[in-house]
Amino acid sequence: MRPPLLHSRSVDETMIPFKYRLLLPMAVTLAAVLIYPLLFSLWASLHDYRLTAVGDVRWVGLEHYAALATNRSFWNAMRNTVIFVAVAVGLEFALGFLLAILLHRATPFRHVFRALLLTPAFITPIAVGLIFRFLLNSQLGVIPHLLRSVGVDVDWFGPNLALFSLALIDVWQWTPFMMLLLLAGLEALPPEPFEAARVDGATGWQALRHITFPLMRPVILASLLIRMLDAFKVYEYVYAITRGGPGESTETIQYHIYRVGFLYYRAGEAAAMAYVLMAVILLFVVVLFYVVRREATS
Amino acid sequence: MKTQLRSIYKLFAPWLLVVALVLSACAPMTAPAQPPSAQPVTLTVIMEQVPDYDIVAELTKRFEAEHPDVRIRFDPMPYDAMRDKILTSFLAPQATYDVIIVDNPWMDEFAKAGFLAPLDDYIAAQEGYNLQDFVEPLRAIGEVDGQLYGVPYYNYALGLIVRQDLFDDPSNQEKFQAEYGRPLTIPTTLEEYLEVGQFFMAQGIYGAAMQPQRGYKVFEEWKNWLYAAGGNLMDAEGNVILDNEAGQKALEMYIEMYKTAAPPNSLNWGFDEALRAMAAGEAATMLSYNWMLPTLNKADGPAGDLAGAFALYEPPGGKAVLGAWHWAIPANTANKDAAWRYIGWLTSPAVDKERVILGGAPIRTSVMNDPEVWEKGFGREYYETVLRILEDAEPLARGQSAEEIINEVGTYLNSAVAGEMSVAEALSAAAAKVREILARS
Repeated sequence: MRPPLLHSRSVDETMIPFKYRLLLPMAVTLAAVLIYPLLFSLWASLHDYRLTAVGDVRWVGLEHYAALATNRSFWNAMRNTVIFVAVAVGLEFALGFLLAILLHRATPFRHVFRALLLTPAFITPIAVGLIFRFLLNSQLGVIPHLLRSVGVDVDWFGPNLALFSLALIDVWQWTPFMMLLLLAGLEALPPEPFEAARVDGATGWQALRHITFPLMRPVILASLLIRMLDAFKVYEYVYAITRGGPGESTETIQYHIYRVGFLYYRAGEAAAMAYVLMAVILLFVVVLFYVVRREATS
Repeated sequence: MKTQLRSIYKLFAPWLLVVALVLSACAPMTAPAQPPSAQPVTLTVIMEQVPDYDIVAELTKRFEAEHPDVRIRFDPMPYDAMRDKILTSFLAPQATYDVIIVDNPWMDEFAKAGFLAPLDDYIAAQEGYNLQDFVEPLRAIGEVDGQLYGVPYYNYALGLIVRQDLFDDPSNQEKFQAEYGRPLTIPTTLEEYLEVGQFFMAQGIYGAAMQPQRGYKVFEEWKNWLYAAGGNLMDAEGNVILDNEAGQKALEMYIEMYKTAAPPNSLNWGFDEALRAMAAGEAATMLSYNWMLPTLNKADGPAGDLAGAFALYEPPGGKAVLGAWHWAIPANTANKDAAWRYIGWLTSPAVDKERVILGGAPIRTSVMNDPEVWEKGFGREYYETVLRILEDAEPLARGQSAEEIINEVGTYLNSAVAGEMSVAEALSAAAAKVREILARS
């Protein structure tokens, strides 16, 4: 007698279980769009792979990685990127938190304010770069014109300010996104600890410091990580406004990799740079996790 | 075994079905009605979206009328997108583009990589083409290792564009004579240029709208100063000499001009900003592309009431930086013959003359000496000046790594102008970088 269908285990199910078959499309897609490019770029980083000589690829081992140790331009670009990330994400967090707290209160029209504040995040970064290139342009820009009318002359893209100006543009565009993440975190906090604190006579600052911040720690970590990873990819503002200048003062790591890979066609070297960048970013993520967790446990 | 096959079939059958459906959707709906030979050939041409492209597009209508078996499809785009697109087409099994335009720093790199088809046989077979009629420095850019891979499309050699009305102003002449003990004339040396720049600055107008933007722009502008100081990037034997005495003098004077006669906060200025300053009447001179003169002097052009007040001269020192675009045929296109029919027609003496009359930048000597072109174009003086500039011009950079050299040297030059490095440090670092690049290639 044939057993009930519900309990049958056909041969094909034992060979590849149903749950894995469901995973297969995603696994194939991931392999095609993520794993293959990663492995290919790793292979390229170990070869003298130039786009103008793809028929003459030579194994060089770790030569590209070793050369990076003394590559002044590469480490200068890395330094610029780290400064950019620290300034931009730091300011975005401070302003974003402030705005989130203000919008968390029962302010009239707060939904309208929230929608308006989010507008910059919907603009493509290359368009934002072009907008600020003109806004801050010493000939045509409204901002330098207004500043000059009150006797202030600022060279926004001069050697001392250019990197900071780019960071400010990033702050303008991405503070609302940070605010949105933090606001979501604030709205999810339980009301009881705050009510208890109020009954105990805690001031607003004490409640913020001893209740809001500790409870918000996971959200803060996630927000900082998301923005930091995104800020490390800064390229559009540099491309649209300064092209890495004056000198190399705004050359970020992504722009540097682009120059080597797509302007000079040295794809092998560019791939090695990308892998080093990946390692640096991983290091930052690990350190950030460690710092936040250590604070949580203490 | 049979069960295993069935299970594999079950696993992949839906995917095979999807692939089959997609492929069937991509397939042509009907078979070609005519044999392939009767079909017109469609050539895809990549172009930079500049005024010269509009002129070519206009002339192409006539080419298509005269050659019904060839259709032209343009793919115009900004400069920044072109190099990547062209390279992708080269690397594809079948070319995306049948006709390309090649900027002068790319020529050796593309030709030596085997990306371009030689044109010598096509040119030899075309009656009345007259290759030697192209101004020699322009023609020479298309030649790599004794073979011709490109023919000129248009030039962008640099010249000195000045506000002639300011130079002719008796009040300015009198003041200049009193201060410098010589008449106010168009500068022919770096020393004179610096004096003229500083003089106009003192009169309340910027002496020079400069383009010290990092990379290509500062290199392009400064190299005119380098020529004027008697220097060059390399000597005849290929030794890097840009950090010699002439190089130092050129960079010191360039920075002096920037600090004392250029608009403040113009460290990132490129072509657009300098042009705007000239057109707005804010600057007395600029080193820029020779064909900017007709644009500035155009009655309804960007200069407004100042139209007609501008004049073109050779850069100080006489020798100019030469930039040029060339037509070329990718080695991987299947339509080489049709591609040459188009290029050969467009660059032939007769059609090129029409292109220049319509406002295109000149490339042929005969066209620049043609009274009809003088009359219908921008006047005898302009074409004769452009011809003098072109005859004594040298390309921005040559060799397989020209693009990298231009950008790297341009970075150090900009650092020196910004004050981040001294002149000696910047030139020494730039020379070392060029040597490193050359050693690698």
